[in-house]
Amino acid sequence: MFGFIRWTFWITIWVLIAGVFHYTLPQVDIVRITDTYEKRQDFGENSLFWAQADTGTDGTLTNRDVFFIQTRRVKGDVMVYRNEDTGWGWPPYFKFDTSNLQAEAGDLKSAEDDARYVAIKHYGWRNEFLTIFPNAISVRAVDGPDASKGIAWVNIFIITIFLTVVYGIWVRWRRFRIARIDPTMEAIEDDLAEASGAVSSWFGTWRKKN
Amino acid sequence: MFALARLMVVGFVVLTVIYVCLSLYSRAVRKGKLRAQWHEGPQEQTLDAFLDEGLEDYDKSLRRKLILSVYVIPVILVSVVIYLTNFS
Repeated sequence: MFGFIRWTFWITIWVLIAGVFHYTLPQVDIVRITDTYEKRQDFGENSLFWAQADTGTDGTLTNRDVFFIQTRRVKGDVMVYRNEDTGWGWPPYFKFDTSNLQAEAGDLKSAEDDARYVAIKHYGWRNEFLTIFPNAISVRAVDGPDASKGIAWVNIFIITIFLTVVYGIWVRWRRFRIARIDPTMEAIEDDLAEASGAVSSWFGTWRKKN
Repeated sequence: MFALARLMVVGFVVLTVIYVCLSLYSRAVRKGKLRAQWHEGPQEQTLDAFLDEGLEDYDKSLRRKLILSVYVIPVILVSVVIYLTNFS
């Protein structure tokens, strides 16, 4: 029972951590930009999945216009990206050039019979039930639909650092537990066993003696 | 401006915690090494005098000043990310 709870706890923690990384770290899609638009957003339950208003503007208003980039991916499905400043906040992309990016995206627009493909770097998730969109970080023109996405060095670096730190903490905690906590717990258990032995023998004196 | 101020304040607090921990740790490591050195050496001074002298040298050393890079590296990192995201 205790093992089951422990496994559930740790699996939940690791799924959450993996989710945060999958949401926050950059990914690259090869797409064809079909259109760009802007639309007012009234943030509600999904407000966690939206970034900041443009840096320097009044960020306290409850709704604002957001840029979007409509695309069709090489696989054939569509993907809509939002295009927002992350500014000085989370996640730390320090993106301030939202309007410039929208201009670049508009410039790279193409129709199906004269397709131009672009690599669009983004973070975040598309979810229709929450109305959330991945946030585009940069676009660059590529040769064709089979263009390489490049190796995700940044992701490899960050995840390696993170796992190293976790491993370091875990090793130290384990050493501390073996050295300090386990002997104490054993001593307490021994005391308890002794005490319960004493109690049951005291009860034993009540029992009928044969 | 508020967002930038918040980032700087939070960053400064977090980095200061790291800086203080690292400083104390580094000094403790040096102290341990000096103690071992004294036990092996000719022991011409008392242990306390030897440690005081050694730690005074450590306080002036480059290694201690290098711990200040705890503040410098994140600033450089943020600048690089700002450049790469917005201007390249």
